[in-house]
Amino acid sequence: MILEILVIVGLAAPLLGVAIGYRRPRVRSVYSLLVALFPLVTLATMYGRTIAVQYAHLPFLGIDLSLRLTPLSWFFGIAISVIGLFALVYSFAYMKDRKRLDLFYFLFLLVNGGMLGVVLSGDLFTFYILWEIMSIATFLSISFTGREALSAGIKYILFSIAGSSAMLIAIVSLYVTFGSVDIVALTTAMSGATVGYAVFILMMFSIAFGIKNAVLPFHTWLPDAYSESVAPFSAVLAGMLTRLGVYGFLLAMYVLIGCGMLQRFNYHGISFSIVLAWLGAISIVIPTFIALLQHDAKKLLAWHGIGQGGYMILGIALGSSLGVAGGIFHTLNHAIYIVLLFLVVGAVQYRTGGITDLNRLGGLAKRMPITFIGGLLGISGLIGIPLTNGFVSKWLIYKAVILDSHPFLAFAALIGTWGTILSVFKFLHNTFLGQLPEEYKDVKEVPLAMQIPILFFGALILLFGIFPGIPLRAVASIEMYFSIDPIRSTLFGVPKAVGELNMINIFAAVLAAGLAVYGVFSLARKSRRVTQYDNYAAGAPVPVGQYQHSVRFYDQADRIIRPHLRDRIDAFYGWIATQSTAFFEQARKIYTGNINTYALWIVILLGVFVTMNLLGWRP
Amino acid sequence: MDRADIKKALKDPHKWGEKYSLWATYFCTGCGIMEIPPVLTARWDAERFGVKPMATPRQSNLFLITGYVSIKTLRAIILSYEQMPDPKYTVAFGSCPIDGGLYHTSYNTVNHLDRYLPIDGWIAGCMPRPEAIFIAVTKLWKMIDGEMVDGYKRYRENIDYYRRNQERVLGKEFIDSIPASTMVKP
Amino acid sequence: MTIWMRIVWIAVLPIVALLISVFFMGLSRKVIARVQRRYGPPIYQPVIDLVKLFTQHSNISHGMIFDMGLIIALAGSLVTLLFIPVGGIHPLSSSGDLLVLIYLMLISPIGVALSAGASGNPNASIGISRKLTLALGYEVPFLLVLLTVMTQGGTTSLVSFVQGQSTSILSWGLFRFPLSAIAMFLILPVMLGIRPFDIAGAPQEIASGPQVEFGGKYLALASIEHGLHLFIVIALFVDLFLGGAANLGTFFLKMLLVFLIGVFIGAVYPRFRIDQALKYCWKWPTLFALLGLILVMIIGS
Repeated sequence: MILEILVIVGLAAPLLGVAIGYRRPRVRSVYSLLVALFPLVTLATMYGRTIAVQYAHLPFLGIDLSLRLTPLSWFFGIAISVIGLFALVYSFAYMKDRKRLDLFYFLFLLVNGGMLGVVLSGDLFTFYILWEIMSIATFLSISFTGREALSAGIKYILFSIAGSSAMLIAIVSLYVTFGSVDIVALTTAMSGATVGYAVFILMMFSIAFGIKNAVLPFHTWLPDAYSESVAPFSAVLAGMLTRLGVYGFLLAMYVLIGCGMLQRFNYHGISFSIVLAWLGAISIVIPTFIALLQHDAKKLLAWHGIGQGGYMILGIALGSSLGVAGGIFHTLNHAIYIVLLFLVVGAVQYRTGGITDLNRLGGLAKRMPITFIGGLLGISGLIGIPLTNGFVSKWLIYKAVILDSHPFLAFAALIGTWGTILSVFKFLHNTFLGQLPEEYKDVKEVPLAMQIPILFFGALILLFGIFPGIPLRAVASIEMYFSIDPIRSTLFGVPKAVGELNMINIFAAVLAAGLAVYGVFSLARKSRRVTQYDNYAAGAPVPVGQYQHSVRFYDQADRIIRPHLRDRIDAFYGWIATQSTAFFEQARKIYTGNINTYALWIVILLGVFVTMNLLGWRP
Repeated sequence: MDRADIKKALKDPHKWGEKYSLWATYFCTGCGIMEIPPVLTARWDAERFGVKPMATPRQSNLFLITGYVSIKTLRAIILSYEQMPDPKYTVAFGSCPIDGGLYHTSYNTVNHLDRYLPIDGWIAGCMPRPEAIFIAVTKLWKMIDGEMVDGYKRYRENIDYYRRNQERVLGKEFIDSIPASTMVKP
Repeated sequence: MTIWMRIVWIAVLPIVALLISVFFMGLSRKVIARVQRRYGPPIYQPVIDLVKLFTQHSNISHGMIFDMGLIIALAGSLVTLLFIPVGGIHPLSSSGDLLVLIYLMLISPIGVALSAGASGNPNASIGISRKLTLALGYEVPFLLVLLTVMTQGGTTSLVSFVQGQSTSILSWGLFRFPLSAIAMFLILPVMLGIRPFDIAGAPQEIASGPQVEFGGKYLALASIEHGLHLFIVIALFVDLFLGGAANLGTFFLKMLLVFLIGVFIGAVYPRFRIDQALKYCWKWPTLFALLGLILVMIIGS
C-alpha cells in the first residue's frame, strides 16, 4: 500500500501544487517542501525491507503491473529524495522573483515523482511509462528559460526518444517471447534463454541506458542540457536523472540477465563486460580532457558529469565484488558532489547576474566564503582527495580494475583524475581565487536557503569520506540482492583481507599534522593583512579594473591537446540531423495543396494496387 | 665571520639569520647593476656569504640601489621598498645616491637619495668593485650586530618627512595611489 | 610493530625527513656551486635561511585562504611521509596502500595552488597553471610505471613490493623492470622540479611563480614543503626500483645517490619551456613505460 501511495503522491502532487500556487504562492512553497519530505521520511523507515505489491491488472494484455522495493530501489530512492528535497529548498531562494513559477514547481515535483516511480517499479511496463513521464518532464524543465534552452531540450528529447524506442523493442520482444513483463518472472525465464537472444535484449537495453547515462558515443546531448537549465534543475539532472541510466544498467545486467548468464557472453575472448568497461574508460578520458578546454563553468561541470559516468560504468561492467560496489558507491558520491558544484555555480550566477563565463569572474572567495567552501569541498570530492567520499569509491574501482589485471583500463581511470584536477582547479581559481574585478566588489553572500544545501552536501562529502562504512553497508546489501559477493567493509574502510584502507587513521594523521604545522605557524610573528592591490607588479602600481588575469589559464596544454579533441561525434549527429531535415524537406513536397496532384496520387496508387493484384500478390 | 659560532647563534638566532642570509632584491635600478652579475657568479662568489638574488621584494631583506636614481625609477624603488618585509636594509652603491655623482646637474635624476628613502650604508666609487661590495656586506654584519641599522624604523617614524619629499618630486597622484599598508606597524 | 612504537615513529619520522631534506637542500647548493667552480654557501645554509624566515618581524598575508592553503599543503606532505616505507619504517602503511599514497601526494600541490591563487597575483596564477600542466605531463609515464609494478606483483601494497625486492640485488625493480626504471629515471627531474624542469617557479620568468607573494614564515613553510616533496619522490623511487632498504642508514645512502645524480643534471641544464617539457614527458618516457607495461603483461599471461 505504501509504495502505491508514494508513486501516486509523486505524480499527483504536482497538479495539486499548480492549483494551490494559482491562489497562494507562499502556501505552495510549504506544500512542495512537504511533498519532497514525504518520500524521504517514508523510505528512511523502510530500510532493509523488501516489499512487492501488485497494483493493477491489464486484462487485454494479460499482464500484472506491480511495484517493488528492493535494496537497489531503496538506495536510489533515498538519493533521489534527498537531492530533490535540498534542490527544492535551494530553488526557493534561487527562483524567487522569476516568472512561470507554477510551471517550474510542477515540472520539478513531477520529475522527482517520475524518478521515484521508475526506481520503485516492479514490472517493465510501469518502468517504461514512468520513464517516459520523467523524460518528457525533463525536456520541459530543460527548456524552461526559452530559446537556446529549447534547442538543448529538443536535442535531449530526441536522444531520449531514440533510447526509449530501443527499450520498447526490448520490452515488447520480452513480452512476446515470455508472455510477461514482471521483472522477477523475467529473471527466471531469462536464465533459460539462448545466449544470442540475451545479448540482443542486453544490447537494446544498453542503448537506452547508455543514451540516458551519456556514455560515449551517445553523450552529446549532455553539455547543452546541463548548461542551459536553471541551477536547481541542473543539480537534479546531473545528480540523479542521468544516473538512472546506471540504475537501468544494473537492472538489465544483474537483475534481468544475471551474473551467471553475463559471464557466458564470450565471443572469442571479447565479452560484453570488457566492451562496456572499455566504453566506460573512453568515457572517462576524453570528456575529462574536453572539460579542460571549456571556459563556461556549467559546460565544464557537464563534461565532468560525462567523465564520472564513465567511472560508474567501468566499475559496474567488471562484475567483481569490489568493482560493482565501487560503481554503485560512486553513483551516490558523484550525485552528492556534482549537485553541490551546480548549486555553487548557481549561487555565483545568482549574485553576479547570471555570469558563468570563467573569463569574467574572479576573486569571489573574499565576498562569498561559504560558497567558496562548498566549491572547495565539491572539487575535492570530484578529484578524489583522501578524506572525501569520491576517494573511497575511486579507490574501490581502481583496486577492482588492477586486481582483475586490466592495467590499461586502470591507466585510463587514473589519468582521468589528473585531467579532472586541472579542469576543476581552473574552475575554482577563475571563479573564487585571483583578483576580484571591480564590478563584483559589493557582491554579498547568498541567502540562507541557498547556503543550507551547500553546507549539507559539503558535510556529506566529508562524512562519507571518513566513515565510508555507512553507505557501504547499503551497497553490500545491493550486491547480495544481485547474488554477487558482498563487499566487506568496516566503519572506516575495508578490512585487511580486502585491502588497506583505513580512513580514520588518515584523518587523524592529517588533523595532527595540520595542528602541528599550525602551531609552528602561529609561533612566528602574526601576519599583516594586505589588500589585493598591494601586490608584486614589478615595481609598478597594480592595474585596477583593466585586466582579467586568468583568461586562457592552460594556454600551453590547450594548444597541444585541442587539435586532438575536436567534437567529431557531435558533428556526426549534426550531420544526421541536417541530412534528415533535407530529406524531410523534400519528402513534404508530396503535399502540394493542389487537389489535382492529390487526385493524381490516388490514381497512381490505385494503378499500383491493380497491377500487383494482376501479378498475383495477395496481402 | 662568526657564522659557525653556535653559542652566539643560539643567543640571538634572529640576528644570526639576518646576517648570514641576506637576500637581495634583484632590481636593476641604474647603470651600476653592471657590477652585480660578476658579484653573483663564479669569480666573486656572493653565495658563500649567504647573499642570493631574489625575484620579488616580498622575499628579500636587502635592497641595493645600484647607481643613479631617475624619477621614473624612484617610483618603482619606493613601491618595491614598501613591499619588502621588516627588517630591511638599504645599501647605496656609487656616488650618485650620495650627492648626484656624475648626473649632479641632470633634470631627471635624484641627487640626495636619503631624503626619499632611508639608506643604511653607502659604498663609494663609480662603480665599486666586487671586493668593495663584499667589504660592505661584512660591515653590514657588524652594524646588524651593533643594532646600528634601523633604516626601516626611521622610515616608519618619519614617514611624513619622506612622503613630503617624495610628493615634491613624484606628484600627489602617485603618492595617493601607494597602498597604505606600510603605515601600519608590523 | 606495537602501537607505542608506531606512535613514536609517527612523531619521529617527519622530523627525520625534515632534517634529511634540509641537508639535501644545502648539499644541492654546495654541489652546484662546486660544479660552477666556486665555493658556495656552507651545507647548513638552509638552516640559516629558515631561521631568518621564521624570525622575521613582519609577515604579509592575503587572507585566510592564503594561510590555510600552505598549512594544508605542508600537512599533506607530512602525512604522505608516513605511508612510504623508509628503510623498514612504515607506521601507517596498513591504513593505505600505493593508491592511497599517490592520492595523498595530491594534497600538497592543491594546497600551494590555493595559497597562490588567494594571493591574487597573476604571476602566481601562471606559476600554478605551469605546475599543474607539468604534473599532467609527468603523470602519464609515472602512472604507467606504477601500473607495471602493481600488475606484476598483483598487489597494490608498497610494503609487500619492497619486501619482495629484498632477496638479492637482482630482484631489485631496476633489474626486474628495466624499461620502467629508465622511464621513471627520465621523469625524475620533472617530478622533483629541478632544472631543466623548474618551470613552475621560474624566478626570471614569472617572479617565482606561486611563491611570488610568500615572505617570512610562508616562504619557510613553502621551502619545507618543497624539501619534503623531494624526499617523498626520491624515497618512492628508491622503494620501487632500488630495493628499499632494511635500515635507515642504507636507505639514506641510496637516496643520496639518486639525489646527487639529479643535482648534477640540474647544475648543467638551462630551463625548458612548458610545451617542450610536455612533449618531452609524453615522448620517450611514455614510450618506455608503455613498452615496460606491455612486456610485463606478455610475460605474466
